[in-house]
Amino acid sequence: MIGEPRALGRSSGREAAIWFAILAVVTAMMLSARASLNEALVTLAYLLVVQGASARGGRPLGIAIALAAFLCFDLLFLLPYGTLVVQNPLNWLVLVAFLGSSILSAQLLYRAQAEAEVARQRAAEVDRFAALGAETLNVARSEDALTAIAEVIRTTLHLDACSVYMSGTDDDGVRLAIRSADDSRPIPEARNPHDLIEWVASRGAAAAEHVDGTTRVGVDPAAVAAGADSSGRARELMQPLRVRDRTVGVLALRKDAGLALSTAEVRVLEALAYYAALGVERVRLAAEAERAQSLQEAHRAKDAVLASVSHDLRTPLTTIMGLAHEIAADGDDRAAIIEEEAGRLSRLVAQLLDLSRISSGSAAVDIQPNEAEDLLGAAAQQSAGGLRGHELRISVASSDELLFGRFDFSQTLRALVNLIENAAKYSPDAEPVDLSAYRDGAWLVFAVADRGPGIPVAERERIFEPFYRAPGRASDVGGAGLGLSIARGIAVAERGSLAVSDRDGGGSIFSLRVPAMSSAELARGGESPE
Amino acid sequence: MPFLIVDDEPQIRRVVRNSLAEMADRIIEASTGRDAIDLAAAERPELIVLDLGLPDLGGEAVCREIRQWSTAPIIVLSARHSDQEKVALLDAGADDYITKPFSPPELQARARAQLRRARLNPSQSAESTVEVGDVVIDLVKPSLKKGGVVVHLTKTEWDLLRVLVRHAGRTLTHQQLFREVWGNSYGDAQQYLRVHVRSLRRKMESDSVRPRLIVTEPGVGYRFEREP
Repeated sequence: MIGEPRALGRSSGREAAIWFAILAVVTAMMLSARASLNEALVTLAYLLVVQGASARGGRPLGIAIALAAFLCFDLLFLLPYGTLVVQNPLNWLVLVAFLGSSILSAQLLYRAQAEAEVARQRAAEVDRFAALGAETLNVARSEDALTAIAEVIRTTLHLDACSVYMSGTDDDGVRLAIRSADDSRPIPEARNPHDLIEWVASRGAAAAEHVDGTTRVGVDPAAVAAGADSSGRARELMQPLRVRDRTVGVLALRKDAGLALSTAEVRVLEALAYYAALGVERVRLAAEAERAQSLQEAHRAKDAVLASVSHDLRTPLTTIMGLAHEIAADGDDRAAIIEEEAGRLSRLVAQLLDLSRISSGSAAVDIQPNEAEDLLGAAAQQSAGGLRGHELRISVASSDELLFGRFDFSQTLRALVNLIENAAKYSPDAEPVDLSAYRDGAWLVFAVADRGPGIPVAERERIFEPFYRAPGRASDVGGAGLGLSIARGIAVAERGSLAVSDRDGGGSIFSLRVPAMSSAELARGGESPE
Repeated sequence: MPFLIVDDEPQIRRVVRNSLAEMADRIIEASTGRDAIDLAAAERPELIVLDLGLPDLGGEAVCREIRQWSTAPIIVLSARHSDQEKVALLDAGADDYITKPFSPPELQARARAQLRRARLNPSQSAESTVEVGDVVIDLVKPSLKKGGVVVHLTKTEWDLLRVLVRHAGRTLTHQQLFREVWGNSYGDAQQYLRVHVRSLRRKMESDSVRPRLIVTEPGVGYRFEREP
């Protein structure tokens, strides 16, 4: 029993017999020398006995001994002997003072002992928690730590079973992580209402199943645990486990006879529940770390495969292109076609690798402050070969405003070149492709506009899917339908976006948005250090 | 002086050899990094074409080794470079890089540009004026004229232009440029550099969004073209 002074738990009958015997012996001894004793000495001797009894036997015994000593004192040591009558009125004062100080000392001793007991139990509790904490932190496997905590909760609180449930990582429900049950009292598995557990996990509020079979939700866990809930005792209490205001799991306590924990036990439960919450969190973090590591390994393996495939395909393609070029130079038209097709194949390989890197998230973007005109110039230069005779018109705001954004220069360039080549592919002959850059709020926008057939609203998302081809499109436009999905993947990786809209007067505008740098940001970092 | 071709694949060596045959007096070949270093030391080649994926030594290590005693231009061949790899190669002393698969004319153009630069270089230090198209740069005075009209440059713009012109034809990494112009890591290198490149282009180029003098090497740096 926690919180009650130890002395009261003793067999008080034997203790009382001993102290009454002591009282009798002391009385007999004093009686034999009654003539030479004065009241003060008798009072002192009896006070000693009362305090001894209080200290050893507790408050009730102390008071009983005090009363008995009072009677003995009056009957045997105050004239006239053998009656309760007291001759000298001053002796009344002695008697009352004796009784008063006896009871007071019994009371004080009791209180001091009770406080010492509580302190001792607190210290024991702290020791236990410290040991549990160290134990759970030291256990190599996080699941073992959780098992230890469930075990401690069950045995400390004398429960039939204690279960810990973990919330899923992707909101995919709750699963039983650990169950500690008293083996001598098997609990039917099916009695744990899983829906209720789910409810507790999702709402972060406690629920209880009562001895009478009814269930209640949104209960105060402390009141239910103490058996002080208005609806009577509960046989199962399900309370959320929280770490930093986030519900990480559910703790379910089962006691078929009904939960009735003392105040101190409720306090222990609260502390242990927090340990359980930390244990659940540790299991979750460990699982996450493991998954992150295996993902990283998978990415590494994929990159290694990509690098090797890339190398293995590129080397023979180089040879084919080189030798075809030599033969074509000797005047064989067929070799020129081989060279051209090998070039196409190599572009396709490059695109597939790009797409694969972007979709696996392994394409690291190197975000830097970059300037728009610089990118437009590089895009004009790199797309020169893919314009199919179309003119590329470039316009930038002629003002002196600096157009800066935070993006990966090479990747954005690749996206922009894809957009320009795409525009050239679908534009009617002699129609120029327009490339521009401008600031739109927090965005730096690169826009590529064509005079092509435009894109129906229903197709506007699908065109960004890999291998998608606009229906009814002439097959001679070439390409594998990867350019747009690569461009969008790059934009997204840069925390930007890519979308298509109608152009006034016909055609489409592809807008690639990347985070712009504000003028304040530019002023801060762009001060010329001259 | 011969050209040195280093690649472990005989077919690639053959393609490179045939592409460059017209330009070279003689072509020597190596299939490992060690052989390449030994051959380069013994034969003092005029141009080196170096594959990055050699079985024994990394291309970067070979570059660094050869660069210690030779100024011959090095063109690196590789399956695929990331920007960081390109920067590392330039820092190791490579002059240019080309990605496989490449077509022979592409390789020829790069080789020609490197040879021209290498042959010009020795006399360049004595040269105080550089004339490209309608732009005349006098590095000593210093003065810049475009179409006969004097263009004013700030001190930083001059410092930047001087570094670019001194290494004309060679790609300088952002970091190299920044070190030369501003000294070591001061503030946001990327941003300063871009602001000044933009203003230089606006003053020098006929069309600043289609630069022909100061060319961008995406993700790597800038290059001054003497013969655009």
